[in-house]
Amino acid sequence: MANLGTFLLLTSFVLCAYAAVVSVAGARRGSRRLIESGIGASYLVCALMTAASAVIVNAFMTDDFSIRYIAHESESAQPLVYKFTAYWGGLDGSILFWVFLLSVFASIAIYVNKERHRELIPYVVATISTVEMFFLYLMVVHKNPFSTSVVAAPADGTGLNPLLQNYWMAIHPPSLYTGFVGMTIPFAFGIAALITGHLDDSWLRAVRRWTMFSWLFLSFGLMLGMIWAYETLNWGGYWGWDPVENAALIPWFTATAFLHSVMVQERRNMLRVWNVTLVILTFFLTVFGTFLTRSGVVQSVHAFGDDPVLARLFTAFMVSILVFSFGMVIYRLPLLRARAPELDSWVSREGAFLVNNWILLFCAFFVAFATMFPTLSEAVTKTRITVAAGFYNKWMLPIGLILLFLTGLGPLLAWRKSSLANLRDQFLWPVLGLVVTVAGLFAFGLREWASLTCFALCAFVTVTILQEFWRGARVRRKNTGTDLLTALIGLVARNKRRYGGYIVHVGIVCIFLGFAGNAYKRDETKVLEKGQSMTVGAYTLRNDQVKIFEEDVKQSIVAYVSVFKRGQQIDTLYPSKSAYRKHPNDPPRTDAAIRRRPGEDLYLVMTSLEPGTQAITLNVVVNPLVNWVWLGFGILAFGTGIALLPESTFTFAMAKLPVEAATTTTVILLALLLTGFARTASAQHVEKPGSISEPTTALEQQMRNEIGCTCGSCAHEPLSKCTCSQAAEMRQDLRAEIEAGKGHDAIVASLIEKYGGQQFLVAPVDKGFNRLAWLFPYLLGGVGVVGVGFVALRWSRHGQAAPAEAAPVDPELNERLDDELRNLD
Amino acid sequence: MTHRYIKIAVTVVVLALAFGFMMWSTLRDGAEYYKHVDEFVAEQQALQGKTLRLEGYVVPGSIRNLPNTMQYRFKIQNNPIRSGDPGNVLDISYSGTVPDTFKGEAQVVLPGKLSSDGFHPNPNGMIAKCPSKYEAAGSAPPGAAHPAGS
Repeated sequence: MANLGTFLLLTSFVLCAYAAVVSVAGARRGSRRLIESGIGASYLVCALMTAASAVIVNAFMTDDFSIRYIAHESESAQPLVYKFTAYWGGLDGSILFWVFLLSVFASIAIYVNKERHRELIPYVVATISTVEMFFLYLMVVHKNPFSTSVVAAPADGTGLNPLLQNYWMAIHPPSLYTGFVGMTIPFAFGIAALITGHLDDSWLRAVRRWTMFSWLFLSFGLMLGMIWAYETLNWGGYWGWDPVENAALIPWFTATAFLHSVMVQERRNMLRVWNVTLVILTFFLTVFGTFLTRSGVVQSVHAFGDDPVLARLFTAFMVSILVFSFGMVIYRLPLLRARAPELDSWVSREGAFLVNNWILLFCAFFVAFATMFPTLSEAVTKTRITVAAGFYNKWMLPIGLILLFLTGLGPLLAWRKSSLANLRDQFLWPVLGLVVTVAGLFAFGLREWASLTCFALCAFVTVTILQEFWRGARVRRKNTGTDLLTALIGLVARNKRRYGGYIVHVGIVCIFLGFAGNAYKRDETKVLEKGQSMTVGAYTLRNDQVKIFEEDVKQSIVAYVSVFKRGQQIDTLYPSKSAYRKHPNDPPRTDAAIRRRPGEDLYLVMTSLEPGTQAITLNVVVNPLVNWVWLGFGILAFGTGIALLPESTFTFAMAKLPVEAATTTTVILLALLLTGFARTASAQHVEKPGSISEPTTALEQQMRNEIGCTCGSCAHEPLSKCTCSQAAEMRQDLRAEIEAGKGHDAIVASLIEKYGGQQFLVAPVDKGFNRLAWLFPYLLGGVGVVGVGFVALRWSRHGQAAPAEAAPVDPELNERLDDELRNLD
Repeated sequence: MTHRYIKIAVTVVVLALAFGFMMWSTLRDGAEYYKHVDEFVAEQQALQGKTLRLEGYVVPGSIRNLPNTMQYRFKIQNNPIRSGDPGNVLDISYSGTVPDTFKGEAQVVLPGKLSSDGFHPNPNGMIAKCPSKYEAAGSAPPGAAHPAGS
């Protein structure tokens, strides 16, 4: 099996090289066949990597300890699910997993964009194949997950680290990798755009979803890591500015920046150099992050593998990425800069986006700098100087607050330039919300300036977002005549990215609430003899007793701690330590006991104990608002999900369906139940640009689907879909005709008269000569079937005829053959 | 055009200076020297009053703990125990919680401050390095006690 795995890696490497070369050659020669061949090769790489993954998973499942990686990461008694997740538990396997994911993503991205972005695809294939080649090369020459033991295979493996045998840890790396690897796709499209010079928005459109998708998984991976640290590492916190954490955070900053600045390019055609730079940087930083955690360059409390060979290989790769990518950017600068408008005013949405981008980029560089600082200082001054978490906090606290402020500010500013009246109108409620919150909290006795600012800004952002939703929904209700809730859903549906983004911002607000709560954290440690109590904040904790439990796999020592609040016992918590029989030399595993509440968590760790006297050292942490961080990530994922949804998902709330539709009724009932206000139908049907009024009759709806827009700029879309002003006018005409009492045919006849032909119809009238047009596709299909049949027949006949001609039947020869065959028996 | 470039240059210089100053001032408080026991002994004079992280290996059998308190006394040495040559050895008195991995031979890092009467580790600050096979994409060390409140 190991040989098969290595063979698959080698073949993939060769195929990647082939795909890269043949795609570039195909693009340069304009040969469709070569390009197709490259695409085929990259599909094949995906198939081979899937096979390689199957081989390694199979080896884990069948306990093939002759493979060193299996022996290192698994043991026969390991639970099945952790045998599976051990695939990406170590370095070698994680690189394999990386290439596997990349090949899958590449195949999907190529398949989806093959026709739409035909000119970019060969270079996309070449870029992705080159990246795959690097990681395959790493595996083949240095970190082969399929390498076998030189001596006899061990009888059992050493097993996955017990701390990694946690459900969060099982899904944290794949989520993070999905985010990391997904960033390669935008990079590949960016490079392809730079090489081909097709630097308009088309490459951005191709990668928008990929970036969002990757960003979602990156965020999710970060959160899973935080929850894991909180639950298993027993220090009562979730973020310690450790290099491994930072490595995942740095590309998150640049990806976030890109998601914002891409809107400026789409809307205003500005920031083209900036966007392509951000895409390159984000990809570079994902590789850099992998390098940081894998090469041992940065010392951390983690026992990183110290691996100079890997460090050299990665450095070479990263330098090549930077030189090539930015070389291309410089080469294309004249094209990138052409026709880009200047910034009209800083008091505009694009101005806010630009500031947001600079700050996010600064965050990325600051965290990278601080993470690398010990290494840099050692290289320059020969003394290793580390920076503590306090240094990060000192910088990131004000920066985070500014970012939070911008989150609220951005939506309030208009594109191009905000007028004074416009500002007053927009800022009134959010600022009011801010002031009221500050006053309320101040009266409540809050004096910590950072938390106070944070809470105030949270209120500011929340009111901003509510205002956006409220105003948008109100306008839409007026336009479409539905109830507020349907209007709200329709609003989100019409501009999923914008309103999905606002929901993401709500998530960010929740996360910041959690961060602000951190300032009120209490942390106390005390030795408690049996029966003694200690008080932390509002809680009083009593050590009732310590019990020892003997189980099959472990011996557990559990403390029974009663929790009192205001003299009442509210709970009993069980912090514990367990020694695993399989790991006698490892220290015992300490398990914190957590009492989770929306307001605050009570977090108990038994750090040590005296078995004789039943005295325990109890570390008590009170963590206010910590659960809001997790809730915030949930909302963030929901918002991104909405932005990612395909167009068709929201059709139920879109303008096409009549108001009486069942879904809407349900929603109305829900609205009635919740708020008690009745639906107010509006008879007004004035269309705003970008929205479509509801059809009033079935005939109108039918005809809107039949009549196409004649503006010439859209793709002759039916009136039910097109949102341009011409279509709006035509819809009004149509309604006037219907209200005049005309029937279907009469309206068509009058329109033919008006436009002097049938070109306004989406499909020609099924009558007379027009029937030919209807017939045409079927005819074409029929001809195709006949043609395929004919060719197939010819080819097969050719195949049959050829041997017949080549070997004419010779009776003599036949007889001799018979004789010889008989002799053989 | 030159006018514009001057403006840009001035902005960049001002920003860089402001940034540099802030960096310098915060680094003064935030930076910690990272020293092994041998380096610590050799540079003791120069390190007076500085914040630092001291790294060493716990000498087996040297750990003393007053029952029912969090007071510990132990020795750390420069080189791994199994290397044979201990290098310099220091006496440490520490108060606070200790990680599960804290025992003889363990490699520990002690953040603290050096004053004229010796090295004072931060309470609850001990971090134990885990020399195990831990290398997966994780976020923090197994069993390591992070500095409390960080």
